[in-house]
Amino acid sequence: MFQGLMQLGYELSKFLTVKLIFDVLWSTQLGIIVGMLPGLTATMGVALMTTLTYKLASSHAVLILICMYIGAIYGGSRTAILINIPGTPANAATTVDGNPLAKQGKAGPAMGIATTGSFLGSLFGMMMLAIFTPILGNAALSFYSFEYFWLTIFGIIICGTLTAPKDPLKGWISGFFGLFVATIGMEGMHAYRRFCFGNIDLGGGIALLPAMIGVFGFSEILMVMKQPAVKIVSRKIEKVIPSLKDIMKYWQTIIRSGIIGTIIGAIPGVGEDIGAWVSYDFAKKASKEKEKYGKGSIEGLIAAETGNNAAVAGAIIPVLSLAIPGSAPAAVLLGAMLIHGIRPGPLLIIENPNFIYEVVAMIFMATCAMFILGLSFIKLFCKILLIPRERLMPVIFCLCVIGSYALSSRMFDILVMAVFGLIGYAMKEMNYPVAPSVLGIILGGLLDKNFRRSLILTEGNILPLFTRPISFVLFLFILFTILSRMKWFEDFLKNLKVIIIKPFKKKKTN
Amino acid sequence: MKQENMNKADFLTSIFLFLFGLTVFIISIKMPTFRELGANPYSAPGIIPAILGIILSFMGIILFIRSVIHKGCKIRLSSQSIKLFVKSDSIKRLLIALFLSIFYVILLGKINYFLLTVIYIFIFIIAFEFSIKKSIFCQSKILFFAFLESIFIAGSIAFAFRYLFLVRLP
Repeated sequence: MFQGLMQLGYELSKFLTVKLIFDVLWSTQLGIIVGMLPGLTATMGVALMTTLTYKLASSHAVLILICMYIGAIYGGSRTAILINIPGTPANAATTVDGNPLAKQGKAGPAMGIATTGSFLGSLFGMMMLAIFTPILGNAALSFYSFEYFWLTIFGIIICGTLTAPKDPLKGWISGFFGLFVATIGMEGMHAYRRFCFGNIDLGGGIALLPAMIGVFGFSEILMVMKQPAVKIVSRKIEKVIPSLKDIMKYWQTIIRSGIIGTIIGAIPGVGEDIGAWVSYDFAKKASKEKEKYGKGSIEGLIAAETGNNAAVAGAIIPVLSLAIPGSAPAAVLLGAMLIHGIRPGPLLIIENPNFIYEVVAMIFMATCAMFILGLSFIKLFCKILLIPRERLMPVIFCLCVIGSYALSSRMFDILVMAVFGLIGYAMKEMNYPVAPSVLGIILGGLLDKNFRRSLILTEGNILPLFTRPISFVLFLFILFTILSRMKWFEDFLKNLKVIIIKPFKKKKTN
Repeated sequence: MKQENMNKADFLTSIFLFLFGLTVFIISIKMPTFRELGANPYSAPGIIPAILGIILSFMGIILFIRSVIHKGCKIRLSSQSIKLFVKSDSIKRLLIALFLSIFYVILLGKINYFLLTVIYIFIFIIAFEFSIKKSIFCQSKILFFAFLESIFIAGSIAFAFRYLFLVRLP
């Protein structure tokens, strides 16, 4: 423990230079602006920033990306409070109580509370990351091909279920489509070109970043341009700094939301939006002032903002320990780490153990910057919301194009971005979540390699996939997740519950 | 999208998904196993794509059955509904943004990057802010600022990527 703290202090001291502090401040502020603007998401911000930082040293680039990520997830709360539109999907739960507070003339205090909630959530998530990443990393060292195979399937199924709660089938279709996309191009064992049809560019496969920029950038531009323009109503912003009493009153909610946010964030592909909603839901159920929820509850606002920012650090836990992203922006972060020669995954703890503490220090720097910037220059930066989308969107598209191209100077990547933008748009229109697709593109290689490896090891016998303890547990999880979304299974569980409870009830009455 | 239209979209998607999965499966089983080179047959490159093809087809069938139950198979297209669809403001906005962006991508590499970006941003802004009903003179401010913004943005992007990130522009 003491050694860990020493290491953290050492890593933190490395970042305390004027240049890096300046970089932390501007990138976090840029993140806040990206988060604030409806239509620009944290994923898009991190993806575009990856293309702008790929020439920098690895730790410097990752620091800027983490600042952008944390800033954007927080920044969306401002739009949610002021104009009732979540700046990023992660802030959807913030609108429920944030906007009613603004309508009551409490826009300033609401933003102050959201900032404090985000700050505390991020710090909580950071501590969880420092504690659990090495533990999970060590546990992952005992994973073999069989376990990795089920882990990828588990990631796709759980991500599909949680990102499409009303229609999980569409989430699963999206995930398996992503897995298929990952199989395009040259495979690793025989260098055979799959689904290339003689196209040389396809032989290199579908690069993750152009596909992500398309799915989260271009498709979002089309979605924004399709919607009617939003009229921005300026609200008076007075006192922003919240009272300590207001925060201390809800300490239980903060801790609960921090834990929930981190856990939800750590589930593959699920992300900050679900983290915020689940935290909000739990806070409402446990609250003594339920009647205030939806009408401007400070507790509800704190729960949502603590939950989504705790999920940021939570989403980085599986990135570092398993090389599986917890959310869409974390997926881009994973891609950026790979571009910079960092190999996240179980071996990180052996090859580069200091990197975990380096990331913790980066999150700490970004969180502090977010807190300071979040409580200052609010009036000035809220004016950015007045930029008309017709002027902003073509600029974003130009950045999407040049960003996709810059990584490997291939015109093909621009085409990938455009095609995936159109696919992403069609998916969003038909209520297919895009996050499972992205997770599928990332995990596809892992699935392919590990399934074939396990078949080779067992000479085609698939039984060990079900008989090894961890594999079996993962398989049961997957089975239960799928079955739990089927009506007949729900009815069966209800009947089973009645059958089990009935004899005990009779005994009681006797 | 309305639920009724969603069911129709699901019906069409399910057919596409089934055929897509089937095609993936057929292509996958035709992939070589490299057994003649002494490779383990279980390392064949088509194994996972074939399984994914089956899964996608299976999910296509489920989606098909579900959409048929919800009467999604009753697709009636009248010329009036198509007219209404095309004439709606949101579709117009979407199509303008889409076509401008696609043309920009198509023309990249064929025209000077800076010039093309200036034209793209300028036309994009004008397409949404300029009104044909009003005279050009009373909208000269829009034209001027659109031109200024397009020059500034295109110049900044081109300069940053060319000289700071040392990227050869498309």
